[in-house]
Amino acid sequence: MSTEQPTGSAPRRERSGPYVAVVRWMENLSETQYAYLLLTPAFLLLGAIAFWPLVSTFQLSLFADSLGQASVGEFIGLGNYVAILTGERTALLPSPFLPQSLTVGAMFNSALAVTVVFTVISVFFETIIGFVQALVLDQNFRGRRWVRVAIILPWAIPIVVQGMIFFLMFQPNLGFLVGTSDNPAFLNQIGLLTTTPLANAQDATMIVIVADVWKTTAFMALLILAGMQSIDRSLYDVAKVAGASPWQRFKYITFPIILPTVMVAMLFRTIQAMRIYGLIETVAGCTTVPSLSCLVITTFNNRMLGSSATVAFITAAIIAAIVSVYIVGYARGDV
Amino acid sequence: MIVPYASVMSDDNTRNGVARREYLAAAGGAGATLGLAGCMGGGSGNGDGSGADTATGTPIDTAAPEEEITIQVAADSNFANSQEAIMKTLREDGGLPDNITVEFLAGSFTTGDRRSKYQQILSAGQQKPTVFMMDNGWTIPFIARGQLANLSKVLPGSITETVKQDYLDNMVATAQGQNGDLYGIPLFADFPTIQYRKDLMRQAGYSDAEFDKWATEPMTWTRFSEVVKKTMDATGKTGFNWQGAAYEGLSCCDFIEFMGSHGGSYFGTFDNYFGPIGERPVTVDSENVINAVRMMRSFIYGPGNDPAALDGIKDISPDAVVQYKEESSRKPFTNGDVIALRNWPYSININAAEDVFGEDLGVMPIPYAVSQSDSEYETIGGSTSALGGWHLTLNPNATDTRKQAAVQLFKALQTDEVRIKMFEIGGWIPPIPDLIATERTRQLKPIGRYVDSLKVAGENALPRPVTVVWPQESTQIASEVNASIRQQKTPKKAMTDLKKSLESIESQV
Repeated sequence: MSTEQPTGSAPRRERSGPYVAVVRWMENLSETQYAYLLLTPAFLLLGAIAFWPLVSTFQLSLFADSLGQASVGEFIGLGNYVAILTGERTALLPSPFLPQSLTVGAMFNSALAVTVVFTVISVFFETIIGFVQALVLDQNFRGRRWVRVAIILPWAIPIVVQGMIFFLMFQPNLGFLVGTSDNPAFLNQIGLLTTTPLANAQDATMIVIVADVWKTTAFMALLILAGMQSIDRSLYDVAKVAGASPWQRFKYITFPIILPTVMVAMLFRTIQAMRIYGLIETVAGCTTVPSLSCLVITTFNNRMLGSSATVAFITAAIIAAIVSVYIVGYARGDV
Repeated sequence: MIVPYASVMSDDNTRNGVARREYLAAAGGAGATLGLAGCMGGGSGNGDGSGADTATGTPIDTAAPEEEITIQVAADSNFANSQEAIMKTLREDGGLPDNITVEFLAGSFTTGDRRSKYQQILSAGQQKPTVFMMDNGWTIPFIARGQLANLSKVLPGSITETVKQDYLDNMVATAQGQNGDLYGIPLFADFPTIQYRKDLMRQAGYSDAEFDKWATEPMTWTRFSEVVKKTMDATGKTGFNWQGAAYEGLSCCDFIEFMGSHGGSYFGTFDNYFGPIGERPVTVDSENVINAVRMMRSFIYGPGNDPAALDGIKDISPDAVVQYKEESSRKPFTNGDVIALRNWPYSININAAEDVFGEDLGVMPIPYAVSQSDSEYETIGGSTSALGGWHLTLNPNATDTRKQAAVQLFKALQTDEVRIKMFEIGGWIPPIPDLIATERTRQLKPIGRYVDSLKVAGENALPRPVTVVWPQESTQIASEVNASIRQQKTPKKAMTDLKKSLESIESQV
């Protein structure tokens, strides 16, 4: 390397060159500072990949929609945020961002409310059912491998195929779960579903939730199972010798040890659930079940670029807020 | 994560000291490489999307280019699969010079996907493809944004004048700018009709003489519901399927027909259909429009069971219509469970096939409630078919030679023989009324039996009111009409709410 100086020749000059200055500066860094220095390129790269699209979306959200032009509209600062959050833009959106009133109908028409309802209910059931599945799979029994395959199978099905399965199940004249007014199916008779569930916001949201639980419970089960398998078996032996009941073994050994794993799994699922789009589009359509991602995509397709970027950025902000709640909770649990 | 790493490092300070020095030397080289990569990755696009504006109005040399040239037409797989047959008729009947080859590209069948793709291509100022096949439901926004070549300026007057004179007026209207200039050449048209089962209706006592009359003389909705109801009673089958889901198909098409055939309109007279936005009246709360919604409710629930139903209209449609789109409503009909179906001509080809219903399939124009002469607005009322169909538009960013070649393609398409052959090859209905029902087209199987009904439908075809805000308005229309036919809102409340949203959209642009 040209920058390298031969040892011995003019040692005084070596001590005052810029190269030497940098080396000296580096050698004087504390271990932690040096570690961060080494990580800087990785942070920069990650920042460019992760934050550049976010910053660029934010930038787009500061410009007005321009329905009649080929490019974006004029700079309006936070105008889009104000218009969307105050409901001023509701008429131009396929569905309102916030619910316009507190009735059930208005809730199921609002992108934010539908997304929150979907996320809370689906993640709740996925966690509970996934937990139970993991507990079962953690036991030793004949054919355990086959049961594992059966549980993971829904996770392997492509969203579009799964969407089509659920779409057909609830299609009048085709699906076995829905009848007609003259010949109602069981779910119609008990009043759980109308005869046209995919046109009804509440029914369709419920169907999408069930479809999501059916598919992604496997994901939860696998993550939780991995946590369970990492528990030192001798702890159970000791507990058994000490006379702990199965419930006590679960309560004092299994649950505390896998809680961090469950939290991480729930974090992943919550992020995914907040972004729900594909399943809705294939099962019921974004008009019936308007999620936040649906709103981003429909407004974008309708050339409301500023509004679309605004909703996208707000969605990202909401997800970030939820993630920080988990991370703060997780950090506390860790201590 | 940092803590254990730092503690490991502090175990061996000496080695780390040397490592830092070596690291710096190595990083110097790596940094230079990264820097170079950064330079290469730099983009040079201007990104303002205005490139399209400069080339929309320069006249094109009408002489055929002399070199071998291929132009691309962004179309669908039906066109791509019939490439050879289309080229043959373009050359032999249309006189397309041998040195010009037209390549039809297969795009998505989903119209919205095609629209998004064209938006990207035109916004980026790409030179290819030279010609776009555009849905008449969204050509006007591209015109309004100045993204298409103005054919009135760049094409010879002979072509544009023929289009304006001979083609379906309402179809041409969806390819024109506010100033009346032409931006697209209609390629083919599409108009829904009512398909019905003659065999089932015979069981209810209707005769072939009546079917012949119905084929070209639209009946009233009251009569239609009686005929279907009587057939339902005689056969035990489901009555009438149409598309009531909350989607573009409801606002652009089914509701335009129900409303238009009651003499109702979204924005008053037809002159207001394509603007000016914000200055036209919103007329969806008029009695005619509300009656149309009430009729849809009568179809589903019946006058006895729904206080908002329209008297005299029988309950002939299943509940499922509020969830039906084209294919979901067609399948039960093709399966033989349904008496009548409102759908596009593609489904005539399916249902009239010999192994489905063959000659037992009847077709009639859409029935009506208020004739055009009794309607408040001129040219609205009477039997109304929604107008579907596609235009060919010219990419203003294409090279001059390719534009010259495109002119030759447009010229070839003006030939009647080419239009009829296109009907034969792919079932693309000519957008020219005189060419729909001819001796030649009557020979086509199986659609030839129904060309007289299609001609009537074509003459009564009404386009959707496309403007740059139509996508937003369409969503509101579909959701309000759907809410009302699901009995969530009375027709009056739904249409009053719709009027408010439409006025709000109109005022915000």
